[in-house]
Formats: sequence, C-alpha cells, structure tokens
Amino acid sequence: MPADHDDELHDELLRRVVAELRRPVHLDPGLDARALRAIRDDQRRRPPARRHLWLAGTALAAGLLVAVMLRLPASGGSAELPAVAAGTLETRHVEIRLSAPASSVAVVGDFNDWDPAATPLQPTADGGVWSVDLQLKPGRYHYTFLIDGRRWEGDPSEPRATKSDFGAPVSVLTVS
Amino acid sequence: MLRLLTLGLAALLLPCALAAQDQRLTERLDPATAAAVGVLVDSAGQAGLPTEPLVQKALEGSTLGANGDRIRAAVATLVGQLGRARDALGGGADGAELTAAAGALRAGLPSSALRRLQALRSNRPLVVPIAVLTDLVAEGVPPDQATRSVLDLARDGRPDDEFVALRRQVQIQRRGARAPDPLDRPALKPAADPPVDR
Repeated sequence: MPADHDDELHDELLRRVVAELRRPVHLDPGLDARALRAIRDDQRRRPPARRHLWLAGTALAAGLLVAVMLRLPASGGSAELPAVAAGTLETRHVEIRLSAPASSVAVVGDFNDWDPAATPLQPTADGGVWSVDLQLKPGRYHYTFLIDGRRWEGDPSEPRATKSDFGAPVSVLTVS
Repeated sequence: MLRLLTLGLAALLLPCALAAQDQRLTERLDPATAAAVGVLVDSAGQAGLPTEPLVQKALEGSTLGANGDRIRAAVATLVGQLGRARDALGGGADGAELTAAAGALRAGLPSSALRRLQALRSNRPLVVPIAVLTDLVAEGVPPDQATRSVLDLARDGRPDDEFVALRRQVQIQRRGARAPDPLDRPALKPAADPPVDR
C-alpha cells in the first residue's frame, strides 16, 4: 500500500532526526569566554553617542529642572517679595497715601518690580487722597508715584533718596 | 567618551545659564542693556553679593525712562557699593544688610560707622538701624551727629521701632513742626564714641 510505505518513510525520517538531536554535543570549553568577548567588542563598536544618549538626555532634563527652579522666584513681582528685605522676617502692613488732585495714582518701587500697573492707589472717601495697603518685610525700599500715568512724584511724607540715578524723585520707606 | 561627558555637562549647565539671565531684565530692557546688566548681575552673584537690588535698579531705570548706558552705569555703581558694604560688614552680613549698607555709603557715611554699629548690635539685624542712619543724613542731619545718635540707640539695645521713631521725630522737627529736636535729648547725645572717620 502506498500509504503504508509513506508512513514507514516518515517514521524512518523521524527516528533519524530524533537520533541526531539526542547525540551528545561536545562544546569548546572557551566558547563562553569568546562569546562574552564578542559581545563586549560589539558594544565598543557601536556609536558612543547612541550608547550614552540617555546621559545627555538626563543631564538636559536635570538642567531644565534646575532652570525652572531658579526662575520661579525671579518671576514673582509680588509686593510681598521685596528686594532689600530680610528673607525670614514677617511682613508688616504698610499704608501708602498721597494727597494729590489726579485721575489715577500708582506706586512703583522695589516691592513691585517698578511695575506701573502692579499697585494702583484707590481714592479715599475724603477726596483728593489716594491710598494702598502693602505687606512688606522689614527693610528699606525705594519708590515713587506715577500721577495720571505721566508724571513722577515723590512721597512728601518720607525721605528722598540721597541721589537719584535716573532724575525722577524717589522716596525711601523704612519698614521695621 | 570624554566628549560625551562634556556634552552632557554642557546640557546640564546651559539651562542654568539661561535661567541666570533674569526674565524680568529680558522683558523690560533692550537686548544689549539686558545682556550687559545680566553680566553685572552674574558677576555680583559669583562674588557673593546680593543680586536682587541690581535687578531692581535696572527695572527702576527702565520704568523711569533711562537709556541703556545710564541703567548700566547705575547698576555698575551699585555693584561697587555692595562690594564696599561687604568689605565693611564682612561675609556674615545678609543681602538686606548689605543693601542697606550700600545705601549708607552712597549717602556719604563712612565704613567705620557701619562697623561700629555692627559691633554694638552684636548679631541683631542691622537693616533698620542702617536705614535710619541713612535717612537721617538724607534729612540733612550731619553724618557725625546722625551716627552718634544711632550708635547710642544701638549701645542701649533699643528695638528697631525706636530707631524709626527717632527718624520720625527728626523728620517732623526738620520739616518745621514744633516737636523738640530729638537729637538734643540727653539720651541721644553720647560723647563716648570718638568722631566718625570720614
């Protein structure tokens, strides 16, 4: 029967394959050492930039993190982060007032990054008097008023800075 | 390998250098002035001087409409004054004390006055006494007389509020109010200290 013949051929082939697979294999004792050396050589041949890309990436990420941390306090502009105040002292409530006929008054100084838009004064009920409340740490602050968005005026109730670097009248406020 | 480590280090430091350029400067000053002021700020920081007063000085100039050269000159002058203040008070003084001391030197007070005040205050904050001393001179009190009065308060261990009160009294007196001259009060007229070096 042809089918029986084919089965015999397949059985014979299978026996030979199994016999071959069962034959003991004698490995060279130095094979492991050679294989490991080949792996090391292969790693050395790879482009180093690729191998250490993670190092540069990690450094860049760390640098960006440091940059963000350094930048955070510098971008504040809050009246509670004065330039000359001692870092650990508590803030004090300070009211700044100016009597002036004006349609708008703002105060600029070391306590608000000299930003004309940061600290507008509000007119009080008695008319002609403008005021604003600040929270400042003990220290010495330079400041001036901006009247109607175009005229600088010092604070008549506080000492003037001894020398003005930029021509405008600048007052000095000492907070204890 | 060395090249890569250098690259990694540069990658680490570059963002720090960019952050060191204060964003407020780049936003408020023209690029050339911001760069020049940034160099001054960096060098001051490396020398251990406070940098925030320098940034504020530049922002003051920008807001008051000064040109770049004037802003640069003002910041450079302040760097020098902060350095002299540190020379006077030593490395233990904090940024606020150095800033106040720089203002005092700018007003014409001698370094020796700051050193004597520091010695009398013995580890207590110096900001307010120095600021009041500077304000008194700004009000027109002769530096020797102002120094003697402030040193006297410091010697007695008076709190900061009393220094400010002294300045208020002087201000009122100097501006024509009828309050008695506080510098004539016996407690504020010490003769123990030698004249201040000028």
